[in-house]
Amino acid sequence: MGKKIEAKRQKTGKIRTKLLIYIMPVVIATIVVLVLLTATLSKQSMTKLAKNELDSSITNQGDNIESWLDKNLEFCATAKQTIENTHPDDTQLQTMLNSYYGFDKNSPNGLYIGTAGGKMYKASDSTKAESDVTSATWYKQGLTRVGMAYGAAYKDADGNNVISASGILNDGTDEIKVIAADVTLDQISIIVNSGVKMQDASSFLVDTADNTILAHRDSSLVSTTLSASDADPLMSGVAKALAARDYSEATIGNYMVAYDQISGTDWVLVSYIQRSVILADVFRLSNILVIIGAIAVVIISIMIAGIVSKVIAPISSITKNISDMSSGDFTIAVNAKSNDEIGVMGSKVGEFVTSMRKMITSINSESERLKAQSDSSDQVSKTMFDASQSQAEAMKELNETVDQLASAVNDIAQNATTLATVVSDTRENSEKADASMKETVDISQKGRSDMEQLSKAMSGIQETNNRLVESINKVGSASEEITNIVGLIGNIAEETNLLSLNASIEAARAGEAGKGFAVVATEIGKLAQTSADSANNIASLISEVHNLIGDAVGQANASADSIQQNSELIGTAVQTFDKIYANIQESNRLIEEMIKDVEKVDDVATNVAAISEEQAASADEILATSQNMVEQANNITRSSQDVADNSHELANTSETLTTYVQKFKI
Amino acid sequence: MNIQWMKRAAGAALTAVVTVGMLTGCGSASGSASAGGGKILYTVCDNDDAFRAKLSDGITAAAKDAGVTVDTKLCGSTVQDQVNDVASAKANGYSAIIVRATDASTALQLEVAADGLPIVFVNNMPDKSRLTANKYIYAGSDEEQAGQYQAQYVLKKLGNPKTMNVVILEGEKGHSGTIGRTSAVKYTLKDAGVDAQYVFVDYANWSDTEAEAKLNLFFKTGQKCDAIFCNNDTMALGAVKALKDQGLDPASIPVTGVDATTDGCASIAAGEMAFTVLQDAAGQGAAAVKAAAALGNGGTISSIDGATADGKYIWVPFVPVDSSNVSKYQN
Repeated sequence: MGKKIEAKRQKTGKIRTKLLIYIMPVVIATIVVLVLLTATLSKQSMTKLAKNELDSSITNQGDNIESWLDKNLEFCATAKQTIENTHPDDTQLQTMLNSYYGFDKNSPNGLYIGTAGGKMYKASDSTKAESDVTSATWYKQGLTRVGMAYGAAYKDADGNNVISASGILNDGTDEIKVIAADVTLDQISIIVNSGVKMQDASSFLVDTADNTILAHRDSSLVSTTLSASDADPLMSGVAKALAARDYSEATIGNYMVAYDQISGTDWVLVSYIQRSVILADVFRLSNILVIIGAIAVVIISIMIAGIVSKVIAPISSITKNISDMSSGDFTIAVNAKSNDEIGVMGSKVGEFVTSMRKMITSINSESERLKAQSDSSDQVSKTMFDASQSQAEAMKELNETVDQLASAVNDIAQNATTLATVVSDTRENSEKADASMKETVDISQKGRSDMEQLSKAMSGIQETNNRLVESINKVGSASEEITNIVGLIGNIAEETNLLSLNASIEAARAGEAGKGFAVVATEIGKLAQTSADSANNIASLISEVHNLIGDAVGQANASADSIQQNSELIGTAVQTFDKIYANIQESNRLIEEMIKDVEKVDDVATNVAAISEEQAASADEILATSQNMVEQANNITRSSQDVADNSHELANTSETLTTYVQKFKI
Repeated sequence: MNIQWMKRAAGAALTAVVTVGMLTGCGSASGSASAGGGKILYTVCDNDDAFRAKLSDGITAAAKDAGVTVDTKLCGSTVQDQVNDVASAKANGYSAIIVRATDASTALQLEVAADGLPIVFVNNMPDKSRLTANKYIYAGSDEEQAGQYQAQYVLKKLGNPKTMNVVILEGEKGHSGTIGRTSAVKYTLKDAGVDAQYVFVDYANWSDTEAEAKLNLFFKTGQKCDAIFCNNDTMALGAVKALKDQGLDPASIPVTGVDATTDGCASIAAGEMAFTVLQDAAGQGAAAVKAAAALGNGGTISSIDGATADGKYIWVPFVPVDSSNVSKYQN
């Protein structure tokens, strides 16, 4: 409880201090300004007043001195005039001087007269002594005027500092006489010093003709010379002003100084007063003002402090409440009793606490829910991350497979291309075989036509034989010719044999296709051999006929038969040729069909190559796509990693939030 | 709140400054607008006296030159008439008054009668306490200057001696001319380093006979003198006579006077009196007109030649007159 109050005091104390710090400078500044202003104004007006007072004092004093001088001079002048007008003898003069003696108290020696002859007249009671009249100062001074006037100060025979009023006594006689009266400077000092009208002011009198001080409060200074090099700044200042004939009022050092010229003399009355004296009242006033100001400052401070304390007292409890709130305690109850702004503040703080309590409760539950949600979200995201990772791996595998597929398709395409090339070569070879077959056909055609010509020749031979037979028939000797013809047939058989050999060779060159043809050619060869054998048999038979019938003409008929036989054989040969031809034609046709088939194979192979190339391209595309997919899968993995991280963070944050919210006491 | 208040205060201060500035500006503008157009009243008892006549002529001439209207009123020797003239000046539209006071001691009454119009006193100087800076001023010649000129002339004439036996014949006791001229002679000699022996100093009350009698008495004392200073020409003429009485050549001892009177100038021309000083009536008149015009427009005399720092006087220089230029001033 005590601690609480202390804390309260400390807090209210701070506000109070602040307010005091803000307000007090202004108050103090205002008071200081007021004090300064008042002091300055009063200083000015008091200085002015003092100046006026000093002026009037010195004028008054000057007038008094003047009138005193005038009175003395007038007395002297009157006495002088009386003496001048009376023209007295020595006795009368003595009587007159005696009668004037004591009349002027300021002049204790009374009137006295000195003559150019050195004679001295004075009152009987006067103690004035003068050994050498004409060299006396008063006498010399008197010689410089007729009207009585004061001369410069000097020391008389008695050692007194005096000034003398003196003048030529114009009594009509031839002897120069000087009448004089002394006034001691002490006496003048008394007059001057007692004539000061202004309180605390002082005066002194200076003869500007020689700067002698005629009167001064300090008697030691009387009859001394005022010097500009005087150690006293006032005296030196006055000396300077007098030297400059500056008789205007001035401030010298700490003094206010005024001057007054004493009319009819070279004297200047100097009056001065210490400024501190003039300003003493100002200082007193200033001191009073300062004290009042200080008291005012203290009173205002206390008042402000008191008022502030009273006004801000409720604030301390509100401050306590707010402090509790700031440390998270919302279980507080706010008391707001007053109806001013602070009361309103208190009640509003109460409302605030209530609404905060509600708000924190709902935030608490919300945060817990959020935490649960974020935990599950964290879980889900982790799962998702795993899934995406395995997906990425799967995609990688798929990609590898597609890669292999692509390379396989490429191999196929290459093989297809090779196949197409081989087929194309085959076609070329077939075409070459075709050409050879055609040549063979041409040759066999030529053979056939040759055979036909042979057949025709045989027909001629037959006719000839027939005629020969006729001739044999007619003549038997013609058998020899038959023997020649039989030899000829043997040659033809050999030739055919050669031809068949050739055909065999050709057939062998035609390869597989020419196999059939080779068989035919062999058969042709065999037939030709048989033909030759037969011809030989004929020849032997003919020869036998020839030999046996020796010129047996009968044989001619046999020859004719043989020729007939030959012709038939030739016909057979022609037919064989036709068969060969047909066979060749057939094989040619077969070759052409084969070529067509080969072409078809070529087309197909070409197609296969094109298609497999397309397949290869497609496979490449698939590969690229699958690579993209791998990348995407990786991205997804990364993203899901981020999601997982974020949701993890969210989970943490919501946990923190929950922790914070749980700090509030509600 | 504080800042606003400060701004407001600053604004008010600024407004005040501007307003004052404008008003001041207007004041000076209207002042210059009426410059030269002011009407000035000049009141003088009469122009019977030679100097007064010259002074009046000087004022009229200066007014004409400056384009200022100056109306001259001769009030006669009655103070009351002069006061009445001054009192009616304001109602008659005058902006300033030049007063040759019939009696200088009536200055205060004249100032009251002027009812705020500035007054320039001429020829007859009131007491200093009656003058107010740039309001009631005196335009004339400085009495001390006359004494200075006398002393300077004598110093030059005697070849700046170290010592000098001096005779001074003073005017009336207590008269401003007497005091100013005498003290100026003394201090000018002192300032020049002269050890002056004042062998005879006495009042001769402006009188030639008194001067002559006193000087003769002085000569009886057997003292010598090197120079005779007189507060006016009349006494100087008496001094010359005294010298002659003593059988001395007046030219042997410089006798100096003041005023450059006809007799004085004649004496100088005759080689008897050595020196005098002339009061410059025309110059005083011109200064008075300038001062009246300036004060009538609400201005000050500070820009006028010869104005003193305290704003109460305009000093018009005397003119030294000796044998070399005396003919110019002889009528």
